[in-house]
This record gives sequence, structure tokens and C-alpha cells, in this order.
Amino acid sequence: MSFHAIVIGSGVDALVAAHVLARNSKQVLVVEERPPAAQDFGWVPSQVVAELGLKLEVQAPDPWVSALLPEGGKLDLFRDPARTADSIRKLSPRDAAAWPDFCRRMCALARVFGELYLETPTDPLNLRLALRVRRLGREGMVDLMRLLPMSVAELLDDWFECDALKGALGAMGILNIRQGPRSGGTAFRFLHHHVGSPEGVFRPSRSDVSAALKQRPGVHFRASGVEKIRLKQGRAHGVALAGGEELEAAIVVSGLDPRRTLLELADPAWLDPELARAIGNIRCHGVSARLLFNGSMNGGNLVWAPSLDYLERSYDAVKYGHVSTEPYLEAHPSPEGVEVHFQYVPYGAKDDLAATARRMLPGLENVQAASILGPADLEREEGWPEGQPYHAELALDQALWMRPLPELAQYKTPIEGLWLCGPATHPGGGIAGASGYNCARAILKEKS
Amino acid sequence: MTRHDVVIIGGGHNGLVCAAYLARAGKRVLVLERRERVGGAAMSEEVFPGFRFSVFSYVVSLLRPEIIRDLDLPRHGLHILPLESTLTPLPGGNYLAQWNDHDQNRRELARHSPRDAEAYDEFGLELHQMARLIKPILGVAPPDPASLAPRELLDLARLAGMFGRIEKKKFNTLWKLLTMSSAEYLDTWFETEVLKATKSASGIIGTLLGPRSPGTAYVLLHHYMGELDGVFRAWGFAKGGNGSVSAAIASAARAFGAEIRTNAPVERVWIEEGRAKGVVLEGGEEIRAEVVVSGADPRRTFLGLVGEKNLPGEFADSIKRFKFRGASAKVNLALGELPNFTCMPGRGPHLRGAVSISPSIAYLEQAYDDAKYGEISRRPYMDIVIPSMLDPAMAPPGKHVMSIFVQYAPYHVNGGWTDEKREALGDAVIDTLAEYAPNIKSAILHRQVVTPADIERIVGLSEGNIFQGELSLQQMFFLRPAPAWSRYRTPIGGLWQCGSGTHPGGGVMGASGRNAAFALLGERV
Repeated sequence: MSFHAIVIGSGVDALVAAHVLARNSKQVLVVEERPPAAQDFGWVPSQVVAELGLKLEVQAPDPWVSALLPEGGKLDLFRDPARTADSIRKLSPRDAAAWPDFCRRMCALARVFGELYLETPTDPLNLRLALRVRRLGREGMVDLMRLLPMSVAELLDDWFECDALKGALGAMGILNIRQGPRSGGTAFRFLHHHVGSPEGVFRPSRSDVSAALKQRPGVHFRASGVEKIRLKQGRAHGVALAGGEELEAAIVVSGLDPRRTLLELADPAWLDPELARAIGNIRCHGVSARLLFNGSMNGGNLVWAPSLDYLERSYDAVKYGHVSTEPYLEAHPSPEGVEVHFQYVPYGAKDDLAATARRMLPGLENVQAASILGPADLEREEGWPEGQPYHAELALDQALWMRPLPELAQYKTPIEGLWLCGPATHPGGGIAGASGYNCARAILKEKS
Repeated sequence: MTRHDVVIIGGGHNGLVCAAYLARAGKRVLVLERRERVGGAAMSEEVFPGFRFSVFSYVVSLLRPEIIRDLDLPRHGLHILPLESTLTPLPGGNYLAQWNDHDQNRRELARHSPRDAEAYDEFGLELHQMARLIKPILGVAPPDPASLAPRELLDLARLAGMFGRIEKKKFNTLWKLLTMSSAEYLDTWFETEVLKATKSASGIIGTLLGPRSPGTAYVLLHHYMGELDGVFRAWGFAKGGNGSVSAAIASAARAFGAEIRTNAPVERVWIEEGRAKGVVLEGGEEIRAEVVVSGADPRRTFLGLVGEKNLPGEFADSIKRFKFRGASAKVNLALGELPNFTCMPGRGPHLRGAVSISPSIAYLEQAYDDAKYGEISRRPYMDIVIPSMLDPAMAPPGKHVMSIFVQYAPYHVNGGWTDEKREALGDAVIDTLAEYAPNIKSAILHRQVVTPADIERIVGLSEGNIFQGELSLQQMFFLRPAPAWSRYRTPIGGLWQCGSGTHPGGGVMGASGRNAAFALLGERV
């Protein structure tokens, strides 16, 4: 059987890419190795929602985060900045006063990224980009230039004194990376995870976008693993499925990570050896475990990140290959129970993570852990390389026009007809569907 | 009361370089040095009878070749003796030796990993190319990208043009170096742990960051810049100690007509109606000048000598935010005999080079982790040279001086620096060194330990930061030392800055002093 395009992968980016291509009168087949996620993490760009006419169920918990305090009690951060300021005031009147201004300045910066995130990335030597940045005005420009290379700890120490507040915010700088809050570049990651959220909300939303895309008509599906991306005279020609069946298409779009796509499924002999080496060097350390507990919880996100120093010490452990004995934890209700994000866990760790989580998060004392997936398990179950959900670490040297490598940042690969659309491409994980959307548009632009 | 065209505060190497260039252009220049001798952190002293030390900074390599040329420094007594090798001893008796001789170096690397020996030349080429890209930027007064002033826009366009001509690929590599950690960058090249560790060590010098902290790859490149230009080829040691670098620049400045006064501590910049009119010395003497140039670091200059009340609020805030966080210490030893390294016994060419205590990335990272929470590294990183091996005049016959650069000794040590802490640091250094050279304890005749607090007190560098401010990306180029004030001017009319707290930063480069002089003269660099 023959299609215009075959999309490999069942992540939200693969699904978005497939639907955007299909809408432009392509016969599109999605080959999915596993069923789509019941819940997706990250802002779904409004352009994607509008273009595909999606009706999404977006979680908007209020408070968006409840930070557990070491001395007992919680710091609730609400969607209404004024209400948040009220709860911060109990811990620090100074921080409460700084809150509205902080929210305004971060939102202005995140908006710049929001615009850049729905375009094929351009390198910074581009005049249009320079003009756009200048539009921010002096305050915004200085903020942006200072903030990009900064650590999230420096950023937050500039603004606040309250440890629990800084811990809960700082966690977004280190989410899913083998870095600590004092590592440079984590302030950028903090902003990245703010893109798309309303002013004063510093947690990406969750939605059912993958499930909605799976249900949306217009795309063919095939549940199967992929054995090979078939090449003919150096250009993509289709895929060979796990059972040996061969499907033809002139366009193959991969939502899998670049290493698997280019070095395993396609023939690396077609790549420049220097590029092949660079692909092998893409950093994708997984550092988090996902725990699922039976039972239920009240409210939205529960965070255990009592201070920036605490987070830094959690990180220290993983540098030497150990599980954090004092980890950063974040719990939220999921369709199956209570899901807990546990950071830092090195690849291949065998420690009893559930016991640690139970000890630190109230309400889990007596419930069973239904599943505990460390980085190695997540690699197997979700197809995340080394357990890294963003497929390539989101660090400054692997972001924007460098994501995942400058040679692959335009979604195109050196193999004609083979494209990348997964979270390893710009803008990357934590934004649901933007990479897939940008990739599909790049394909359509080239074909038109 | 004499009138001068320019008064320069501080006779460190940058102040002296600035003075020399201004005097060369015909300005009447007066340099005021607080201490009894010039040199700032680049000075030598007979600490113990017969034993001379470069007490603070201890090697040269980065001093801009155009400065050496323009000021004819060899004629003024500058003589550089090259360091020939770097030896990294390992626990257990193995070692890594890096030699200036290409073939010898390659053989040694191949002993550890043929793959790394293969990659080494390519690695060197990449850094060499990057250093060449950066070099012209070192001599530029960074424009303010937010400004709409025609002059700044013009310079911005020139700079964009300069970058625009760079091959995209090279620009991307540069970006990687600016944002990656030195360990990650080296991971993409090599597999030998000790090679990666020893190379990554140049990425942590002077900063309170570990080899796994992003941004350290740039510091690595910064230190690599000395290894080109064909002038020094590699790191060198100034005959007579680093004081002779300053002495040569001072001599050149005097030859151009500059006046240098020592024992002349400046109390404050004399400001009237928002303009600098001169300086006031401790003791009350007033010295008028058309222009005042400060070679002191930004914090001392603006929050000390100028005073916050004379500054716009936003600028004062930026200066207060400017990070120093000194992390380096010096241990100077007078030795009765040479150290005997277990891994390479006896007196060999390796003693004419550097010895690096950096057995693995994890070792360096652990040393950083101690300091991160305010402790002295239990097992510190050390860069050791024995200057008397190259310049026998540094010590009495048959005896030696050893200079040990130590990290990490955080300025903000828990409980503050005390005499006990200073000795504890000295002990940690000696105990660690004794693991590799067991005779060191009995060889020591005298020991001098210089903590970041000592550096601050004696030389006047805030928090003992050897670069006059951390060399991190958010404190570089047009953000050094504050946004909109990176072009050596200050918000106070008639007051300029020329220290390494301005672009391009420290390392006994002299570039800040030279750029400031050119900016002041209104000339393009």
C-alpha cells in the first residue's frame, strides 16, 4: 500500500504533524509503536488548536501548585496573582510585593519565546530576530540577555527571599535535566516551561490532546513497531514494519529521537561521519522516575522542593551516579491514580523510590505503588532515549537553532524525504505539538 | 596643585597599560598606586629571605601580543620562559604527561587511548579556530545593543558584520562553547578521564563553578587563547616573577612620560555637579584631572570610591548584582629540596613544567561541591609550578620555590576566614600533594597561604576574585560590568574604567587597559 507520508511514533508531535499534513490533502499513515498518552504535559499552542479545530479538555488546577513547607502546611499559588500574593505574604511580605512585577516581566519574556516557538528556528545572526528582540525595549532586552545564560537560582535570588517559593518555581528550571538550580542556562528552562501559561502561572498545563488527535478523522493508523526506514538511492522510500511488511511513501516523518531515527532505523552510511558522531553526542540523560500510586488526591499539583539549596543537593547525588536521597517530588492526579515525578534518578538505578516518595508526600503513606518507572524503564516503555522525555536535553547548546543539532534544526535530515518532528526538535518537550506543527509546515512549504 | 590630563587609580597591569598608551598619545598621565609598589595582583615579593614569589598571579600567557609589541616590553625587561609540560599524577602511580613536543605528546596520549591521541589534533584545531574568532572581539569596545545612538548602531552593525562573515558552523561551535560545561564539551572529544579532567580544569579557574557547570567551556577557551599568536606558544613564566611583567609595563609607561606615584591611596573620586574633577587621597590631598580612570574593580570603584549616592539607581543595582565569589587561593612554598613524584621519580623535565592535581572530573566536581556549600575543598584542585627551575634567581642556590594555585577556597567560607581556616587550607593542600610527592612535607622550609580574603585585603580585589568579577556569560561583553556601560565609560562624566572588571576580563591580558585607552582617545581599536 502507498501513502504520501508515513509518520512514525505516537507522541503528540507525531500526531499533530500527521493531521496537519493530512489537512493539506495528503494520504497520511501513522505507524504507532504504542497507544497515545491519556494525558499530555505542556501547553498546546493555540495555532494548533485552531488549525485542527480541536476541542480539548485542559486541566487548569487552582491553586496551580501547592508547595509543601518543611515546617508543615502549604504555600498555595493561585491563578489569580493577587490571591497568590496574599498567600506569599504570610511567609514574606517583601516577596508578596515583588510578585506582580516578577510575573509581568517573566510573561513578557515568555511571550517572545512563544512567538519563536511556532516557527522554524533561525540563527541569531538574523536581522528579523534582532528587530523582534529590540521591540522588547531596554528593560526587556537587558532582562533577556542577562537571563538566558543565568542559573534559575540567581534569577530567583534576585527577586525573592522565601525558600519554599523559590524551590517551587526553581523546579521548572531543572525539570528533566541533569543540572541543578545553580547551573547556568536553567533560567532559560524556567522561561521555556512558562511559555503559553497565563501571567503568574508557572506550571505547564496538562490536556488530552493526544487522545483527541487519535479520535480526529483524516489519518490512517497502524499499530506496529518499525524495523527500518527504507532508502532508495539515498532518499526515503517508506518503512519496513516489525513483521517485515513494507510500506511505501515519499515522505517519512519520524517522531522518534534522532539517534534512533538516523543511526538505527535509517542507514548511517548515508550520513556524513562527522554528523553521525554529533548525533551520537546528543545529550539525553534521563534523570526522573515516574511513580503511579493507587488512590486519589485532592487539588492540583503538590510539590516538595523546599528550597533551591535542597534542589542543588538533590542534583549533587546524580552527578556521582546515585539516586537523590532527598529528591524533588511533584504529585498530580492522573486518570489512573496519583502520578509522582521523582528527580533525580540515574539511568539503571534500582533503589526503592516508592518508600522515599511515601515518606515525603502526605496522603501516600498507606497506598500501593501501581508502577515505578525509572529512566531505563521509561526508555523501554515510552521510547524515550536514556529515559529523557524531551529526547534531547533542553539546554542552551541544544535549544532553538541548535536543537538538537544545527544540521537538523530545520526538521529536515540529510536524507531527502526523511524529516524529524519529535520533541528533540525545536521548540522541544514541554510544549505539546509545536515541534510536530512546525515540521509539518516546513514539509508543506517545501512541497508547495 | 598640579593638573593632569588623566589620573589613573591603581597601578595594576591594566592601569599601567592604560597609562602607557595614554602617555604615548601625549597625555599627561599620573598613576596612583595604594601600595608601596606597582603591579596589583601581578607582583613579585621576597616573602622569605632569599626566596622570591609571584605572590598572587603566577604565569603569563594571555598578555596581548600587540601590547608587548606596542610598548616594546622586552626592551623594558620582560623575558618569558616557557613552561614545557603539564604532568597530572594519578593515585596508584600512573600519570598523564602533556608535552609541548607534538610527537612526544601523541605517544603519551596513545598510551592512555589511541582514540584520544587521534582526536587530540582535531580538538586543538577547533579551539584554535575558536580562539581566532574571539580574538578580534577582545579588542572591541562592546556596543550597547539596546541603544539607538548612531555611533552605537554603527558599531553594532560592524560587529554584526564581523559575526556575519563567520561561517555558520563556526558560530554554532562558539555558541556551544559559550553555553556548555567544560566536562560536557570534552566528553564529545575524549574518553580518557584524566585528560578530560586536566583540560576541564582550565574551565574552572577563577570561578566558583565546577567542570559540569554550564559556561565553563568558555573559560576553557579564554585560557586557551594564550596558546596561539606564535608569541609564547604555551604558558610561560616571567623571569623574576609576574612582578617583572608589571615592572616592564611601568617602565614603558614612564618612558612615554607617565608619572607613577606609589603609597598614594585614593580615598574617593572627587565629584562636582555629576562630573569627576579628580581624586582625593587618603590624608586629604586633592589631585585635579580632566579625566579619572579607575583600574579598581567595579564594586570598589562605584560603591567605594564614587559612592552609591552619586550613581543612578539602576546602575548601582547592576553593580551590586555583579558577582565576584572569589574561589581561588595561593600556597607559596620555600623548599629545601625538589619534590619527588612517585609517578615520575627524580629530577626530570616534568619539574620545568606545571603539575596539575586533577585526576578525574568527579574529583574536581567533588572539590566544587565542598565549596558550593561554603567549605574549603577537602581534596582541592591544584596547579603547581616550580619557578626556580626556570629562573634560579628566585631561590638561594640548591633551594626552590613552589607556587600552588588552589581551588576551591570560597571567599564566603562558613564562619568567615580565620587564621585557623587559613592553616587548614594549607594543610589540605600539603596533605593532598604529599599523596603524590611524599617528600614534600620534609622539604618545606616556609609556607605562605594566601586566601581570597587575603587577596581582597592586600590587593584590593573584591571577594578575592582574580578576574575582578566572575567570567560568566551574563557578566561578559556588553554586560560587563553593567548593561549600557560596557564601553569603559561610566555614568559619571569624566570617569572611566580600565580594570579587568570590564570587557574582555582577567588573566593578565592587559586588553581592558588598552581598550580603555583607545576608547578614551576616541580612536578605533
